[in-house]
Amino acid sequence: MAGTKEFVEADNAEAIITRIEHKSRKIESLLKQHKPIEALKTALEGSPPNTRDERCKSANWIVVHRAMMAIKDVDSLFSSLDPEYYDILMKYLYRGLSTGDRPTCDQCLRIHEKLTERAGLGCILRSLADTVNTV
Amino acid sequence: MAAISVHQFAKCITCHAWSPDHSMVALCPNSDEVHIYRKSQDKWERVHVLQKHDQIVSGIDWSARSNRIVTVSHDRNSYVWNQEAAEWVPTLVILRLNRAALCVQWSPRENKFAVGSGAKTVCICYYEQENNWWVSKLIRKRHNSSVTGVAWHPNNILLATTSTDGKCRVFSTFIKGVDTRDSRTGSSSDAKFGEQIVQLDLSFSWAFGVKWSPSGNTLAYVGHNSMIYFVDDVGPSPLAQNVAFRDLPLRDVLFVSERMVIGVGFDCSPMVFAADGSGIWSFIRFLGERKTSSSSARYGSQFSEAFGKLYGQSKQGVGNDAIEPSRTRGGIHENCINAIAPLTEDGDSKVTRFSTSGLDGKIVIWDLKNQEDLSVYL
Repeated sequence: MAGTKEFVEADNAEAIITRIEHKSRKIESLLKQHKPIEALKTALEGSPPNTRDERCKSANWIVVHRAMMAIKDVDSLFSSLDPEYYDILMKYLYRGLSTGDRPTCDQCLRIHEKLTERAGLGCILRSLADTVNTV
Repeated sequence: MAAISVHQFAKCITCHAWSPDHSMVALCPNSDEVHIYRKSQDKWERVHVLQKHDQIVSGIDWSARSNRIVTVSHDRNSYVWNQEAAEWVPTLVILRLNRAALCVQWSPRENKFAVGSGAKTVCICYYEQENNWWVSKLIRKRHNSSVTGVAWHPNNILLATTSTDGKCRVFSTFIKGVDTRDSRTGSSSDAKFGEQIVQLDLSFSWAFGVKWSPSGNTLAYVGHNSMIYFVDDVGPSPLAQNVAFRDLPLRDVLFVSERMVIGVGFDCSPMVFAADGSGIWSFIRFLGERKTSSSSARYGSQFSEAFGKLYGQSKQGVGNDAIEPSRTRGGIHENCINAIAPLTEDGDSKVTRFSTSGLDGKIVIWDLKNQEDLSVYL
């Protein structure tokens, strides 16, 4: 029983990885067209918080990170980013801050300031209190 | 102004409860004692000190008709206090717990009370006439963590609980000899004691503060992730709504009508949630804000402004949403509010007055009567 479940999980993980690879190609082409906000939206869409497979989470973090670092104008990001992305973006900001990498943290803190203004402390609470749907 | 009375009783209040005629209030000043204050000529006077517990009193409930006080404490015990002449006489209730008791509530008919505990159990206590003794019956092995809240359905049988495992559960508490068959209604009619009716798995973090609406049709509870959950049709196929809000999490809720809920918590100011005509719940506004709403023209603008604060609800509102840094800390409560109690008038199903107490040691009485923008939900 446990064996089949693991198998399903692994099978599922492969499918998620394939989807992320596809997403990655789309993000690259959006970045080439100078649409960093569209790229970030694409990266955040269909994030795999439900799976426990670390490979999927890392793979998606890499594409989110790629899109996030391309954002130059944080103010214009929030004028076109819909509120439904706020919670998931906050989770990735904390993942970025946990890397300790200087440029990544700089960028995360810049976005974090604006996001907190927009979405309030509740958004931070939702990203910190949730131990099930991690990114 | 929605707050009509503010009084500092202690440094910190863990819980409070009102006497049936609202002339007295029982509160725990973060110690092993329960103090009863009576209001006489605009001054609060301490008239009784209930001293029996050894540790912090975590829950008090004062029954409206039988005038009995039940208290529970971290010392794992519960006392039922009866007034005899001028004194309050305690009766020990053996709960059979190995962890702290956390919350307590009398059932609507006042023949039972429920205690939530850190021992992952709920105690249903009832009085046995022959032995002159309160008996505790346990609902065990149902919760995976501490039980933080209990709430009785108006039918006196169903009990909703919240737990730090993030779940909200509804149980049948039918006790032979205490409850009669005709008091059992609907889908719960063949449920035995301790049978789980439904488990709501909406929150991914601690759940607190569960309440039923006056009719028992809707259930509301809060999560520690700044979310509030509304559940209709509690039974085999419940209809759930999650409402995320932009401020700090809530600790307790109160239904003031079928369509309006007051939430209190870490943001120090009560929040108003209401359901529109189609039954969609949303955050309306803070109650502590100093806003005058007199003309109908103002009413409209205030309304859309309040809706703008609920992010995810209206996009054009989010655009002009600015932070008001002075709002929360200039409020009436200066710390987390952890309890809310209704002040229901006799024979009135609607609650227009309620009281809140918190870690700042104040009890604040709020009145919704002069809040014109909210009257449509009452």
